[in-house]
Amino acid sequence: MATEREALSGAESLAKTRTYGKFRCHNPSCMGRITVEPGVTQCKCPSCGLEFRVAWVRPNFPRIRGPVWDVNRRIAQEAVTEREAAKAAKKEGK
Amino acid sequence: MALNRKIAYIDLSTGKIETRPISLEVRKKFLGGRGLDAYLLYNHTEKGIDPLGPKNVLMVSAGILGGTLASASSRTHIMAKSPLTELLGSSNMGGFFAPELRWAGFDHLVIKGKAEKPVYLWIHNGEIELRDASNIWGKTTTETQWAIREELGDEDIKCAVIGPAGENLVRFANVMTGIKDSAGRSGMGAVFGSKNLKAIAARGTMDIKIAYPTDALEYNKRFIDQIVSSKVNQTQGTLGTPFIWGATNSWGGIRTRNFQYNQCEYADDIEPERIDEIATETMGKYHMAGCFGCQVHCRAKYKIPSGPYAGKYDEGPEYTSQGAFGGEPDCKSAVTVLTGNHLVDQWGVDNLEIGSIISWAMELYELGILTNKDTDGLDLSFGNDEALLEMIRRITFRDGWLGDTLAEGGIQASEKIGKNSFSYLIQVKGMSNLHSDERATPALALGIATGSRGSDHLRSRPAIDLYHLPEEVLRKVYSNPVPYDGPLSSEHTSYVGKSWQVFWQELCYMGVDCLGICKYHTTFLGATLPNFEDWSRVLYYNTGLEMSPKDIWDVAERCYNIERLFNLREGLTRNDPKKGDTLNHRYFDEPCRRGAPDVIGAKIDRKKFKKMIDEYYEHHGWDENGIPLPETMKRLGLDKEPSHLV
Repeated sequence: MATEREALSGAESLAKTRTYGKFRCHNPSCMGRITVEPGVTQCKCPSCGLEFRVAWVRPNFPRIRGPVWDVNRRIAQEAVTEREAAKAAKKEGK
Repeated sequence: MALNRKIAYIDLSTGKIETRPISLEVRKKFLGGRGLDAYLLYNHTEKGIDPLGPKNVLMVSAGILGGTLASASSRTHIMAKSPLTELLGSSNMGGFFAPELRWAGFDHLVIKGKAEKPVYLWIHNGEIELRDASNIWGKTTTETQWAIREELGDEDIKCAVIGPAGENLVRFANVMTGIKDSAGRSGMGAVFGSKNLKAIAARGTMDIKIAYPTDALEYNKRFIDQIVSSKVNQTQGTLGTPFIWGATNSWGGIRTRNFQYNQCEYADDIEPERIDEIATETMGKYHMAGCFGCQVHCRAKYKIPSGPYAGKYDEGPEYTSQGAFGGEPDCKSAVTVLTGNHLVDQWGVDNLEIGSIISWAMELYELGILTNKDTDGLDLSFGNDEALLEMIRRITFRDGWLGDTLAEGGIQASEKIGKNSFSYLIQVKGMSNLHSDERATPALALGIATGSRGSDHLRSRPAIDLYHLPEEVLRKVYSNPVPYDGPLSSEHTSYVGKSWQVFWQELCYMGVDCLGICKYHTTFLGATLPNFEDWSRVLYYNTGLEMSPKDIWDVAERCYNIERLFNLREGLTRNDPKKGDTLNHRYFDEPCRRGAPDVIGAKIDRKKFKKMIDEYYEHHGWDENGIPLPETMKRLGLDKEPSHLV
């Protein structure tokens, strides 16, 4: 039991896998990791194209402050229009 | 000994006070805090009692680690039958009250009856006294605490108090300690008020003897390192919990205009960084504070920068106030959020419930179900900041027809309003949902549908499900301390394996609530934070109680089942829209309209949701109606309940 108490717990061992200086894209169907240059205030996800405003918890610790509203709204609307058109085409094809 | 604190039974009708020790047998079965409270509630109440009548029994407790060297062992738990839901009432707050209660000699208070006139309890070094509270009845929560300190001549007294909302029996009134620490959910403040109990004051100098002090200190260093090295806690220490609201709003998980939208667009003024700027401007650079024994310091200090309450000091706001006074009513002003937060803190009312219920009323007003006649001329349109603040006042003081009606809680109000108003009420088991929108996240939807105190994110939310963690990481978390080889999915839009995650988180949160430590110190917002394995060690070093991680899991499961038994006794059935494990129809029928590309259009699939509930019941060892099977009861040692061990 004493030895067990000295061993790393599951949570402690998982801590070794943490990544610093990056964050994940907030698009749930993307979730790609984004790395940004120090001090930037805006970024674009290289995978899905959504854009975010960036805030800095500390100089080496960025986080997403929020979306670039106009850009992400437009991208989302385009995606929805495309999706609906594809659905309609599929329906017509039947 | 850390385990020699007692239970006090206090009858407010007769003034009789009796104290009893807590046996080791009881400790090993229920530990303390919420778990033992659940046992006491089930054993000391009768079926069908009026929650605001003298037969309701109120439990106030510290966790088994409260006030020890364990990190963030600050939590106070309060339990009774809820006047809001008429099911389990349960609420938990940080601050400094629980450690003081333990230093004063007590772990659990069991409060029965009703005092003839307003009273408060004065607990000090093993003694309990009932004192007249006539001169403090009517005071705000902060005024009450200072009046008691002045009367008793000790500035270090810690109090759990109610404000005007509790006195007025608002069914979602808070119990509070300090400036903003709130046992907010399920109306425990109204139960205080119904008993003419204004406050409990505690002060103690009875040391808690730590079982292995050197080991406890050394291990605590490791424990603290886990806490402070996590990115989520570093963010909380800078921005507080508002960062959660900001991150969730970013992709479209924040309910807005009651439940019409799932994102509060262009809400830059209520984003966490903006609130942090105001706190910095009004309180200086070092404006974050913490609860007892905590290193995270997630609570901002601020002064309201402008408006009718300019210059007033408060703490927070939590993300719940951003949702309640920002996103849900679609009011995008930081001053409004900070003012709303201040009002509910001073008047002692649940920010989350009052904000949700006002937003519901705003939607009813928009639909013409409520009219100017009902609002006494108040323009209750979404985005009307002044109307929002005015409604907080009217509800707290039960002013006017609508204020009085909404003070009864959503279900009761919907019965009075009629006209299909219930259909728009976003609640589970009579308690309003958090400001989050779970239509795109099935695991989170399952969590709120099955929460034992009603809709809730602090009962079982697998928040790490949103992080897209690799399956092997999820498996490492969710296969411990009991093996699990079923499916798990990194996709938070998936329904696969989510029932197990919710079940696991339920027991995890029950575990911390029994220990009396904060949920930000466990697997809530971060996968690398302590849980069962770590607790086994911290429990042993501090109290000498040797329990394996699996033993603690078993305690949590036992206690969760006791809560289930209570709810079943009080009328819970699986599909009851008012008392069941289900969601408002809008989760299934109305797709999300905003947010990231694939969030738009998302809604909960009825069939898959039903399957998740079935699986969730199976994990618990419950039948298809959600009733614990006889073998489950036997396995958990609950087959002879109520057993009246204490």
